[in-house]
Amino acid sequence: MNAARDRILASVRDGLLRAVLPDATDDRAGRWAPPDPALPRDTLIEHFGRALASLAGHLHRAASASAAADIIAGVAASQGATSYLSWDDEHLGCPGLLSVLESRGLPRVTYDVPGDPVERARGTHELGGVGLGLTGAHAALADCGAIVLVSGPGRGRLASLLPPVHVAIVSERRMWPSLTALVRAEADLLDAGSNVVLVAGPSRTADIEMTLTHGVHGPKHVHVILMP
Amino acid sequence: MNDASLAFHRRIDEALADGALRRALALTTGRLAGGRATAMAALPDAEALRTEARRIRAHTIAHLDRYLDQFTRAAQARGCQVHWAETASDATRIVTGIARENAIALAVKSKSMVTEEIELNAALEQAGVRVVETDLGEFVVQLAADRPSHIIAPIVHLSRGDVARLFQDKLGAREDEVADIPAMTAFARRILRSQFIDAGMGISGVNLAVADTGSLCIVTNEGNGRLTTSLPRLHVAILGLERIVPTAADLAVVLTLLARSATGQAVPVYTNVVTGPRRRGAGPGASPGGEPDGPDELHIVIVDNGRSRLLGGELAEILYCVRCGACLNVCPVYRHIGGHAYGSVYPGPVGSVVTPGLMGLDDWSELAQASSLCGACRDVCPVRIDLPHLLLKLREQAARRELAPLWLRLAMPFFAAIATRPALYQFLGSVAARIARTASDEGWIRRLPGPFAAWSASRDFPAPAPRSFVQQHRANKAGTGAPPS
Repeated sequence: MNAARDRILASVRDGLLRAVLPDATDDRAGRWAPPDPALPRDTLIEHFGRALASLAGHLHRAASASAAADIIAGVAASQGATSYLSWDDEHLGCPGLLSVLESRGLPRVTYDVPGDPVERARGTHELGGVGLGLTGAHAALADCGAIVLVSGPGRGRLASLLPPVHVAIVSERRMWPSLTALVRAEADLLDAGSNVVLVAGPSRTADIEMTLTHGVHGPKHVHVILMP
Repeated sequence: MNDASLAFHRRIDEALADGALRRALALTTGRLAGGRATAMAALPDAEALRTEARRIRAHTIAHLDRYLDQFTRAAQARGCQVHWAETASDATRIVTGIARENAIALAVKSKSMVTEEIELNAALEQAGVRVVETDLGEFVVQLAADRPSHIIAPIVHLSRGDVARLFQDKLGAREDEVADIPAMTAFARRILRSQFIDAGMGISGVNLAVADTGSLCIVTNEGNGRLTTSLPRLHVAILGLERIVPTAADLAVVLTLLARSATGQAVPVYTNVVTGPRRRGAGPGASPGGEPDGPDELHIVIVDNGRSRLLGGELAEILYCVRCGACLNVCPVYRHIGGHAYGSVYPGPVGSVVTPGLMGLDDWSELAQASSLCGACRDVCPVRIDLPHLLLKLREQAARRELAPLWLRLAMPFFAAIATRPALYQFLGSVAARIARTASDEGWIRRLPGPFAAWSASRDFPAPAPRSFVQQHRANKAGTGAPPS
C-alpha cells in the first residue's frame, strides 16, 4: 500500500516536471477573496428569508422558548408528527425548549447508534416512524438560505436527515452574509465535528424530466426558527 | 477510419435519429445553461471569483504531490484509512477487499463519476456485494442496466413513462405509485430508505477534498450523499487524485461557483463535509458518549488511473476541472448527440479531453473532432479551462501519431507545398474557382467530391467570386476596380 503511494507520488512529481499548467502560481500571495458586503443584520435576515422561501423552506421568528415550542408544535401537528429526534437542549440555542415541548405532550426519541452492524440497522429502523427532527444551527448564510449544522456529542446527524420534517433553530447573531465570510472568520470550522453540513431548504430532485420534486431522500419540509 | 471511429460515427447517427432524445436534450441543456447564466449574473464579483477559483485549482495541481501528502496525513490523524490505487483494477480490488473483510452483503452508493470510470459496481457484484445506486437518476439507470448520459442529469434520455415502466417491471410498483413524478419519487424514497439502513457499506465519490483538515466534501440535492456517508457502519470514499483544494477558504470559493455552474442553484441543498469517522469518546468507535451517529470507519481510496500521466503533458490543465457539467450544456455537439454517443463515462467537451487523456488516444482520438471549437465551453467554465485549446492539442497529437485519416495526412503536406508558392497558389486557385463556379448551383456549391463529400453533405458553400481577392486588390490599387461592396 505504501509502495503504491510512493509510486503514485513519484509519478505525480515526474509529471509536474513536464506539466503545462497555465496560471499556476507557487505562492498563495495576493489571494483574492470576495469582499464582505457589510450589510446591516436586518438586511441579511431579509435576504436569508427570501432565499429560504425560494427554496421552499419556511422562516419563523420567536423570542422565547415557549414561542419556539408553539411553532414546533404547530408544525408537528400539521405534518402529523407525534414524536421527534433532537439535539440536546444545550445545543439548541433555546434553553428549556425540550422541557416545554415535553410538557405539551410531544415526546423526544433518543438514540445512540451502536457499532454492531445488526444492532445498528435494527436501531435505525426503529427511528423510521419519528415525524420531526430538531437541531440548533451553528450559522445561517444570507446569500443562499442555507443553515450550517456541526455534528458532535448531543448533536447527531440523523435529526436533520431521517424525519420528513426538519426544524432548525438559529440565533440572529449567527447570520453571515456568505459561506466565504463565515469560513474566513472561522478557519477551523470544517474540523469542528466529523460532519459539517450546509442545508439549503428541503431535499429535492429534478432527475425525471427536469421536474422539481421535494423530499426525495432527506426531509420534505424545512423550517428555520430565528431567535434573538 | 478505424473501428473506434466508425463506432463513434454510428452512435452519433443513432443519437441524431432519436427525436425524443433530441427534445429531452434541448429541454435539459437549455434549462441548465439558462439557470447558470442567471445565477452567475446575480453573483457580485462573478468574474473575480472565477479567476480566483482558477488560481486555486492551478496552484493545487502545480503542487499536487505536497497537497496529497498533507491531505493524507490530516485524514489519517482524524482516524481515516487511506488507500492508494494506481489503476482502476487496483481501486476495485481495494474496495472489494474492504467489503470482504467486513462481510458486506449490501452497499449503498452516492452518485460518483470516478466509480463509473473504474467500473466499481461490476467488480463488487462479482465479489458478491449487491450495490444500490441511491441518486434517483442513477437508481433508474441501474434498474435499466443503462449508463448515465449527463454528468449531473443522468437520465436526461429517459421519459417519465420509461421510469414508470421500469418501476413496475423491475420493482412491482402499483399503478398509483407511478401515477406522476412525485408519486414515483416517493416510491423510490421508500424503497431506498430501507436499503440505506440495511447496507453495511456506503460508497461515495468526492467533489473536493480539503488538504489541511483531511475533509471530504460531497454535494447532493437529494440527501442521498448524507445518508450514504452517515448510516452505514463503513464509509468508503473514492477520490480522484486531482480533486483537492488547500483550505476551507479555498473550498468556499470553489463551492460558490460549483452549483451555480452546474444547475444554477446558489448552493446545492446539501453541502456535506466529512472529516474522519464519527468521534467517540476516547478513540474512534471506542466508547459511547461521543457523536451518536455516523460511520465507525472511513476509508479513502485515492485513484490515479492515468491522472499522473495526464499531468505530465500539455493537457494537464484539464485537471483543474471540478466536474460541474456546464460545458456540456452549452456545447452545440453535446446538445445534439447527448452523452451516450461519446462512448465514454465523461461526455461533452470535458470528456473529449479527459477520456483520451486518461485512456490514451488510440481509441479516443475521434472525440477531439466532435467540436466546432466555438469556445462556448471555455466561456462558462468556472475555472476557465481553455477547452478549445486542449482539443486542438489533441488533434495535433493525433496527427503526429498518424491517427488522422490517411487522405488528410497526405493532403496537408501537398497543400503546404502549394500554399507556400504564391504564383502556383494563385494559378491553381483560379483553376479551382473556375471549376467550382461551373459546378455550382445558383451561386451555391451543394456537393463536393471525394473526401469532401461528408463535409458538404450538411453544408452549402457559396461559389467563389469571379475575381480572387488578389486580383481585386491589384485592380483596386490600379484604380480600375469596382469599389468594395
